[in-house]
Amino acid sequence: MTKVTFERVHKAFGAFVALEELDLAIRSGEFVSLLGPSGCGKTTTLRMLAGLEQPTRGTISVGDRVVNELPPAERDLAMVFQSYALYPHMTVAQNIEYPLRKRGVARAVRREQVLRAAAQLQLEALLDRKPRQLSGGQQQRVALGRALVRNPAAFLLDEPLSNLDAKLRAHMRAELIELHQRIGKTMIYVTHDQLEAMTMSDRIAVLDQGRLQQFDTPLEIYNRPVSLFVAGFIGTPAMNLVKGTLKADGNRLVFDAGGLSLELPPALVRRDVLREGGIAVVLGVRPEDVLLATDGERATVKVVEPTGHESIVFFDLMDHTVVGRVGPDVRLAAGEPVGLTLNAAKLHVFAAEDGRRLNADLQPPATQAAPSLVA
Amino acid sequence: MTNAGATAQAIAPRLKLSTQYGLLGALLIAPTVLIFCAVIVYPLVSAIYLSLFSIYTPTLKGSWVGLDNYVALLASGEFWNAFWVNVVWTVGTLVLQVVLGVALALLLHQNIVFRSLARSLILFPYFMSTVVAVLVWRWVFNDLYGILNHAMMWMGLMSVPLDWIGSMPNAMISVILVGAWKYFPFVVISVLARLQTIPDHLYEAATMDGAGWWGRFTDITLPQLREVLFIVILLRAIWDFKEFDLIYLLTGGGPVTATQTLPLLVYKHAFALNEMGGASAVAVLMMLFMLGFMLLYFRYGRATES
Ligand SMILES: Nc1ncnc2c1ncn2[C@@H]1O[C@H](COP(=O)(O)OP(=O)(O)OP(=O)(O)O)[C@@H](O)[C@H]1O
Ligand SMILES: [Mg+2]
Repeated sequence: MTKVTFERVHKAFGAFVALEELDLAIRSGEFVSLLGPSGCGKTTTLRMLAGLEQPTRGTISVGDRVVNELPPAERDLAMVFQSYALYPHMTVAQNIEYPLRKRGVARAVRREQVLRAAAQLQLEALLDRKPRQLSGGQQQRVALGRALVRNPAAFLLDEPLSNLDAKLRAHMRAELIELHQRIGKTMIYVTHDQLEAMTMSDRIAVLDQGRLQQFDTPLEIYNRPVSLFVAGFIGTPAMNLVKGTLKADGNRLVFDAGGLSLELPPALVRRDVLREGGIAVVLGVRPEDVLLATDGERATVKVVEPTGHESIVFFDLMDHTVVGRVGPDVRLAAGEPVGLTLNAAKLHVFAAEDGRRLNADLQPPATQAAPSLVA
Repeated sequence: MTNAGATAQAIAPRLKLSTQYGLLGALLIAPTVLIFCAVIVYPLVSAIYLSLFSIYTPTLKGSWVGLDNYVALLASGEFWNAFWVNVVWTVGTLVLQVVLGVALALLLHQNIVFRSLARSLILFPYFMSTVVAVLVWRWVFNDLYGILNHAMMWMGLMSVPLDWIGSMPNAMISVILVGAWKYFPFVVISVLARLQTIPDHLYEAATMDGAGWWGRFTDITLPQLREVLFIVILLRAIWDFKEFDLIYLLTGGGPVTATQTLPLLVYKHAFALNEMGGASAVAVLMMLFMLGFMLLYFRYGRATES
């Protein structure tokens, strides 16, 4: 089976650095997503792996083989392009057959393999059509078929679902997961849609401005984002982020932000990061960790957005806007006063200067008292 | 539209709506039809009409001879010679234009230095007036002081000067070469415009699928160019087939009749032999050839499109 490794891979276009010293070790058979905002270097990473772009320095290996000097065709990788890149003048069958034809596979074998790939993707009825006679989802399946038929060591997929409507996208997501489970091949999946990354991946590599931020399982990334960027990028609605100062006051840990003052669990952050006179931090709380409590701190409801299965609520808490999510049965109206507490077990603290995570929580305590909100 | 509709209604208040629209439509296309008749149908009909007479060009007076002009032409060696020369010239120069044009378009599509400068320079022959171009080429080809003979002898490619225009097959080769030189830029710009719209990812996909440069050319570039090449070849074939000034100025149809194409034959009948009827007959026959050729081409074109 095939693992894929990037070692100190660097890519610059002229003076512009698209990718900075990327280290990434993808295990054999893994489904890995490259996730990040537009322009962060996802496609560049994939294209270097495919051989369509040369890294400025660093080594890329497929299996145990360094592929830097290998032409694309010899890397044993199949790529599904964002635009599908189907050959417009060839039929579906010819499109799927093409990589086999170019590799000199005998006609009878080709025919059989095309039929097998078509059957896997339910394309049998479409084999004689041209790409422009297909819907987006069908084209995507043909592109997948063209990749599948080669039986490559790994699949590279560049935002293959981004052209589809929401419903088809959800459907194809499920089909891709199912396909991955069935064939068990290494898949590297580029997306800027965090929902896709979270639902499909074994592990996610979060990129920002050419730098790898975090490479971990979806849950780990959600629960323990290593940086402010990851914290803000993953999750909808986004994590609440409040700038303030964190001070150790004897055995107590106090967070101050304007009129807001919170006592945090003393063991929340690493002791070594604290300074005399306090440090500038950003406190992060996910919307689901903002809890309604009658004895909590006073806040007012600003906006309620019901989605059906829950409601997204914007609260005004001491001049800070805080987003929470409440169950569908909780009725709230704009202007209504409520009491809020924060789930102390799920607080995130980041250094304001460089955004790195300051929590001491490799193994967070299971339960902890809610922090008291002190005006 | 509403105004015109109201007018139509005023003209024919008692007519049915569909009839009114029919009248309106006729009214709207009438100017086009009139102009079309004046500049295309009238000359065509009068050419056919003239070809049925024996006419003395200076006075344009003559007598009805029926199909005699055609009978005489189809029986004459000169006509069939001109037809054959025309085919050789058209096929020869067209093939050169297309091969040269596509090759240069491919080259100019690459990231070579001075690409934009080269792209503008390549248009030069196309924009140059035919008279000027031919004069320059006559000077290049001249057997006594032409630079071509001089250069080739200097390089040791030949020992005695060649007569490039006054002997065969040199004259035909020269005409074909100059025609190709003059008109290949048209192929270059048309093909280049299409090349620039072929998405890169098709080539990248083909590369990953294992196609080499030749495979990418035959599997991606050529099929993508097919439609533009169809149009380009069709247009160039028509234009080359009826080319007059370039050949007339370069060789005058000579030596003897070796480069005398049908358009030159028309000219000869009309103004050297002073028989307008015969000239018209040649022109009409020429038009029939081109019509047949075009019908063939359109049928092929429609077949490849579906
Ligand atoms: N050939 C190139 N020349 C110069 N800059 C480039 C080139 N290719 C990419 N870049 C730059 O490198 C950066 C990363 O590009 P890349 O295509 O990898 O982004 P991406 O993460 O795939 O974004 P998107 O989600 O929009 O597809 C971008 O800022 C882009 O402008
Ligand atoms: Mg991209």
